[in-house]
Amino acid sequence: MSRLIVIALRMLIWLLLSADPELLNVAIGLAVSLALPLPRRVRALSPGQFWRALGESVTALPQAYSQAARLLLHRRLEESVVHDEPARVGGRASSVLVFLDVFRITLTPFTIALGLEGGGRRYRVHELVFEEKER
Amino acid sequence: MSGALLADAPGVLAALAQGASAVLLGLGLLFWFAGSWPLLGRASYLTKLHYLGISDTLGSALMLLGLLLRFQREWPLLVLALLSLVVWNTIFGYVLAACSQPRRRP
Repeated sequence: MSRLIVIALRMLIWLLLSADPELLNVAIGLAVSLALPLPRRVRALSPGQFWRALGESVTALPQAYSQAARLLLHRRLEESVVHDEPARVGGRASSVLVFLDVFRITLTPFTIALGLEGGGRRYRVHELVFEEKER
Repeated sequence: MSGALLADAPGVLAALAQGASAVLLGLGLLFWFAGSWPLLGRASYLTKLHYLGISDTLGSALMLLGLLLRFQREWPLLVLALLSLVVWNTIFGYVLAACSQPRRRP
């Protein structure tokens, strides 16, 4: 699954760059994306996990805009805290999942991921806390 | 009357797209300035990074959406720019934040 995602990503970039849906062009793109080196060892990733993480990353976009509006309107910053957020896939998560999680956390303006800790069991997250923040 | 309106539908759509594009570009510019302003203050490094994420990622994404409405024939390159901008800026913010942290003992 991870390798398939890498190849699909390469194809997407190739097609967007060339903007040419002809068969020959698609064949060249496919050949190049297969010929480029792939990661030698990948960790197991089920399609369900991938689609859920991707869906959460995409739904984080509108959340990011609403948070940005609140951040710009409410200037009274109370404190900034560092806390741990448990990773959903404990232990040896696929790098695709880690990437999507870090993307989702960092994209929203209230939180930034600081790293993966405890052997991949939790993310360190820096979060802004506001006086008027209602949750 | 409705026939004339229907015949003019492409023109109306184009005008709508132009208007929406201008709004998106303006909003993006607003996000740019609003997010960059706190960089001049005395907030902590990480707090500034939060604001920088607004201007850099979200504001620029709005601008690219505005450009997408304006130059619809160039959509493949603009979509590529949008994707790479959002992913690159976000991950770069993460890299900057992670590198600012002292290494903690496990």
